[in-house]
Amino acid sequence: MKFLRRKNDELDEEIRFHMNMAEQERIARGETPEEARRNARREFGNELLTKEVTRQMWTWVWLERFAQDIRYAFRQMKANPGFTATAILTLGLGLGAITAMFSIVNGVLLEPLGFTKPGELFVVRAVPPPQFKIAGDFPVNGRIFHEWRDKCQSCENIALAHFDYLTMVGLGQPEKLPALSVSYNFFRTLGVQPVLGRDFLRDEEHPPLGDKVILTDQLWRTRFAADPQVMGRKLQLNGETYTVIGVMPPTLHLPQGEQWGALAGPPVAPLIFKAFHVDLSKQPSNGEMNYVALVRGKPGLGARPISDELKTIITPFQVQNHTNFSIGVFPLARQMTRNARSALWFLLATVAAVLLIVCINVGNLMLVRASSRTREAGIRIALGAGRGGIFGLVLREALVLVTLGGMLGLLLAQLGVRLLVLAAPPGVPRIDEVHIDWRVMAFAGAAVLLATLVCGLLPAWRLSRTEPQESLKAASSNSTATGSKLRIREILAGLEVALSTIVLIAGGLLLMSFLRVLKVERGFETVHVITQDVSFLAPKYAKDGRRYFVEDIIPKLAQIPGVEVAGGTTLLPLRGEDWLDGLESPDAPPKADDEILIANFRFVTPGYFQAMGIRLIEGRFLDASDKNQFRVVISESAAKRLWPGRSALGRRVGGTGAMTEISTEVVGVVSDVPAGGLDKTPPYTIYEHYWRMQPINMSFVLRTRAEPEAVIGSLHRVLRDADPEMALPATQTMDQIIEESLAVRRFQMELAGGFAIAALLLASLGIYGIISFGVARRISEIGIRMALGAKSDQVVGMILKQGMLPVIVGLVAGLAGAWFAARLLATQLFGITVHDPITIGIVTVMLALAGLASCWIPARRAARIDPLRALRFE
Amino acid sequence: MLILRVLYLRPQHGYGIAQSIRTASSDVLQVETGSLYPALHRLEKQGWVKAEWKNTENNQRAKFYSLTAAGKKQLKREEDRWNLMSSAIQGLMSGGNA
Repeated sequence: MKFLRRKNDELDEEIRFHMNMAEQERIARGETPEEARRNARREFGNELLTKEVTRQMWTWVWLERFAQDIRYAFRQMKANPGFTATAILTLGLGLGAITAMFSIVNGVLLEPLGFTKPGELFVVRAVPPPQFKIAGDFPVNGRIFHEWRDKCQSCENIALAHFDYLTMVGLGQPEKLPALSVSYNFFRTLGVQPVLGRDFLRDEEHPPLGDKVILTDQLWRTRFAADPQVMGRKLQLNGETYTVIGVMPPTLHLPQGEQWGALAGPPVAPLIFKAFHVDLSKQPSNGEMNYVALVRGKPGLGARPISDELKTIITPFQVQNHTNFSIGVFPLARQMTRNARSALWFLLATVAAVLLIVCINVGNLMLVRASSRTREAGIRIALGAGRGGIFGLVLREALVLVTLGGMLGLLLAQLGVRLLVLAAPPGVPRIDEVHIDWRVMAFAGAAVLLATLVCGLLPAWRLSRTEPQESLKAASSNSTATGSKLRIREILAGLEVALSTIVLIAGGLLLMSFLRVLKVERGFETVHVITQDVSFLAPKYAKDGRRYFVEDIIPKLAQIPGVEVAGGTTLLPLRGEDWLDGLESPDAPPKADDEILIANFRFVTPGYFQAMGIRLIEGRFLDASDKNQFRVVISESAAKRLWPGRSALGRRVGGTGAMTEISTEVVGVVSDVPAGGLDKTPPYTIYEHYWRMQPINMSFVLRTRAEPEAVIGSLHRVLRDADPEMALPATQTMDQIIEESLAVRRFQMELAGGFAIAALLLASLGIYGIISFGVARRISEIGIRMALGAKSDQVVGMILKQGMLPVIVGLVAGLAGAWFAARLLATQLFGITVHDPITIGIVTVMLALAGLASCWIPARRAARIDPLRALRFE
Repeated sequence: MLILRVLYLRPQHGYGIAQSIRTASSDVLQVETGSLYPALHRLEKQGWVKAEWKNTENNQRAKFYSLTAAGKKQLKREEDRWNLMSSAIQGLMSGGNA
């Protein structure tokens, strides 16, 4: 700008010099100084115009005009502080929300994984044959991995991993560390290297060299004070000595739990890695499907050739073991975000709808101001302003508003992202990687431009088409508006209603689903139940240690003051499905098809059922007499499935795998208990006495008389007395476990609900603004009507009728839109259809009421108009 | 072209250019100042003339325009075209008379 000013000064001086020369010459010719000045002026012509035209010869004149328009826009804004503040604030909130939401989508879905060439990485899964009648896939069989690693030609590398816990003692309190046992080439396959120390070597998969561990950056910092000399440190893990050989970089973000695929482990980030191999001598002959397999394909290879080859390699094994599981190969990035994908896009779309409503509101306010500025535009056009100039002027005003809103939005987005990440439920993939980067900035920029167009196009178009004659003739802006202008505003109001209908129905469906999930029959009681996870990992538990420990501790736990019953199970309800096996019964009537039933197997102490409040339906619970006997209790649905309409007692049942003998006797039937979530059908469940299983992980369950938190101290003391080296992860009440299982659903429902309420409020404000403005313009008209005898009821009726028309049209359009849009939500709903009549009914009534309220206030105001004053208003 | 021609003789300031054109054409051609300055600035942008602030004979600061090498070439081109045009018109006019 400084350069521009100098250039202007030079032009002034140049012209002044010209004038001086002309004057001097005239004086020399004998004219008086005044005459000379006047004549020189006259000869020169229009000095301003000359300067103006000259300036246009400079290229950056558009820049100057742009700056001028921006200055003008700021002046306009200063003149209307209320409008400006409202517009910037709502735009800021809208843009902030969408930017924050997009950062999440970006971090979770769009940003490539932080591994070398992430596109070449695939997860291998076992796909059940159709007889299983279950959706989804399984972890792969550990027995077939070595063949894959030795033979696979299309794999650059193939690695195996398995989730474990390692109890670390000797460094403060014993701690149960989530760990990943990996084949030696796991990190090579991912393409990441330790920042300190070295990676595993091939021989370190086996003893005696297998005593090596690699730490995550987090563990290194929290437990080893980021000590660079940590290499070679000896650690006591599960009672054995391990040596630290490396530390991974802080940027390592591994998939957690289900992000590897169903049944791959709990949603916990591993803190430590040890190399392992699948010990075939300890595995059943047909193997165990418990492993995560990770492939880096040869460059350019898709999933197809890899899965074809992997299938071919394992065919002999499958024939030998009579299994017909197929192999699925899925891109790692998609696998990680499979469950979050549709939910996140849905939330982004919802925010976009809210932003659109904001823009329409601002655009409408500008349109309102535009119609009070027709005189100004008329004068400008009459004075020679181009229509394009006026169009640009209004658009630039919108740009200034939206840009300021966008800046505010970016600030809010920073805050919003932090809040969202904090509030996000555990298990949202890659949420810790979310941040504002160039892609988010570009998105915010695009959103600002788009919002500018939405806000500014209509008013710009409207003003630029001002007819100067007409606008100047019209004495004031109070004259009756022409039809078309009103129609545009009505269309906008209708659009707002339609958008908020869709958003409200989506939010309503999610809320209804959430309520349904809460009301689901649980099959167990959560009040006054507290749980404590433990693991028996130390070598002293190797033989019969776990059995005796459990047998010993249960009576002690039951004796804690305030405890009614104590029990234990291998896996708590709602902690996911695990310990799966085929369910068979020699006593069941032959099935029509060759369907294979899958059941969850649980190994429990006799007190577990009472402690968890699981209901007895038939027969009896397990008791001390079942120790070492082939007796089980099974869930209601399994009993009904196996022996429909008949008693299950005394019948024989078992697992096809190694889990439970086929000839095990059923002694009781209990209520179904959900495993994968309250919104999932409870699996068939078989409960067997823990004595037969030797569980490595166990959760103790205590039913208390009063608030369960009161016994936590005693609980820990009893366990510590029994084993001072036992790690005790956080004690959780059953209510907390339920809350945890609902977290994703609650998070999504609350966000969608929040956006829906925002949409409703904004749309109501928008309608209110549009109707009030309509009334304000028609004050004199209404005054005349009333002077001519119209009753105030009639006036109210008239305004309401005109105001509600777009509301109703928008509502109908929105319902139609929601009818189709809701299908996208289908997978996230529970217990209701996408066309749930109650939700649709409530939303319709809500919107109609909101619309009515928005019209009512201005209509009342119109009815209270004093005809005398209204007519004098001119 | 006229401006370039005038500047070909010697560097001039705006007022001087206007005067030169008027005297050279014996008052037949009068350059409107409203066109002169825009034209000068355009020529400057196109790189055919360059401007510098100098003092006049009677010690006044003025913006002097002078021809650049590109400007000289342009002048040559325009003169050629003008000669072609004028001789063509000349031929047409005299031919019409004959």
